[in-house]
Amino acid sequence: MTIFRPDEEARVRELLAALERPVELLVAHGPEQTPLPGARDIDFGAETERIVRELSELSERLSVRVEQEPPGFERYPAVAVLPAGEDVGIRYYGLPWGYELGSLIGGVLEAGKLESTLQPESLERLAALDRDLAIDVFVTPT
Amino acid sequence: MLLAYKTALASPRIRAAAIEATEFPQLADEMEVWAVPRIVVDGVPQWDGSVPERVFLERILAAAFE
Repeated sequence: MTIFRPDEEARVRELLAALERPVELLVAHGPEQTPLPGARDIDFGAETERIVRELSELSERLSVRVEQEPPGFERYPAVAVLPAGEDVGIRYYGLPWGYELGSLIGGVLEAGKLESTLQPESLERLAALDRDLAIDVFVTPT
Repeated sequence: MLLAYKTALASPRIRAAAIEATEFPQLADEMEVWAVPRIVVDGVPQWDGSVPERVFLERILAAAFE
């Protein structure tokens, strides 16, 4: 089973054509939590890897690396989005499916840009930040 | 979600993670996730829902200096 319908695949391919620099997706496997009842038939790690590999086939600028419990990950499965191979702290924890596949693709598209798309005022405020900050966004696939 | 990723890309001080709530129910419970997106800064729940860029920046920076 493929993750995209033919029309979706064409659209994603078109979006990914805008990547201005290479983006690497690092799939991190490791011990997974007990899944919810009814979800036990899904191999979340394997599915995550399959989705990421299929996505990466849609652009020459997208590549995939798969590692077992690499440093810098808090839970598994996870995907890190690395602009030009650099870890800037972007993670997706869990299986990126449904609506949330769009978030991952959005992250890839942003990581592929040479310039931030944030407003200049926002960049100014961020430049003044003098301590580390961890933002977690809880999401669901529907 | 995208705004969080954008801030992580723009600032070396920020890291941003999306967490699939149904797959990590224990953590979602700890963070009292009843609605999504739920935004948590440094392990402290902040708010639910999508907000404009200016508001997002204001809120995460306010959380940083609490």
